Amino acid sequence: MLLAPPSHAGYNSVVTPVSQTVRVKVLFFGRLKELIGRGEDALEVSEASTIEQLFTAYAGRHPELGKFRSSLVASRNQEFAAWDTPLHSGDEVAFLPPVSGG
Amino acid sequence: MTPPLQDDIYELVRQPIDASALAGHVRAAEDGATVTFDGYVRNESHNRPTLYLEYEAYESMALAKMREIGAELHKKYRIHRVAMVHRLGHLEIGETSVFIAISAPHRAAAFDACRFAIDTLKRTVPIWKKEFFEDGAVWADGELPPAPTATPRAKPAS
Repeated sequence: MLLAPPSHAGYNSVVTPVSQTVRVKVLFFGRLKELIGRGEDALEVSEASTIEQLFTAYAGRHPELGKFRSSLVASRNQEFAAWDTPLHSGDEVAFLPPVSGG
Repeated sequence: MTPPLQDDIYELVRQPIDASALAGHVRAAEDGATVTFDGYVRNESHNRPTLYLEYEAYESMALAKMREIGAELHKKYRIHRVAMVHRLGHLEIGETSVFIAISAPHRAAAFDACRFAIDTLKRTVPIWKKEFFEDGAVWADGELPPAPTATPRAKPAS
């Protein structure tokens, strides 16, 4: 899920598109922000990765995060989004614990 | 015809909320009633004395969701103006955390709209409350906003 490896440029390489990656902004709030240690991050993911895959990438680095999966909702560009939503360049994704305003 | 939200107020603030100014803002000559909701910090939570609260928000999305609630209020109810303000940061016991004022020609619509507004805000607006006690702090139990379970998802016909 991190940066795609550099393409193997060499004498015989032809100009073919390397696998595309897209850069997304990722936000964490409430207890998730405390768990991750920061509220905002940026990550390169392969094109058409889903929000679920993005979360899995973070859960790989912060194993405690995984147990919150069932009690979170995700948003993409300030709209609640399904976990299978594909990501595009410049998207802003947030992981939101149960809300408690009011 | 002016868009219904134009005279409304939707804000996140870090200073004390001026409730009477907001109630005054929504009040107009063609109205007959204003209903307000004043939500403030209680001195206990689950029988533990609370020292103070801290609120944080996903500010851009929270404001967008508050405006969405406003748009829905104007669609559902015969109301005139809406003021909806939530405070963020450190709040002491008794301080107002959220204030809603809704004016209408007749009271029933204002009562119904105000109830819908605070209930929907608490369920869908990305704001979080941390409660501080003598012996530690906890993020308040909240509600999981309704989100689409798969994409794309058709809206059911109403």
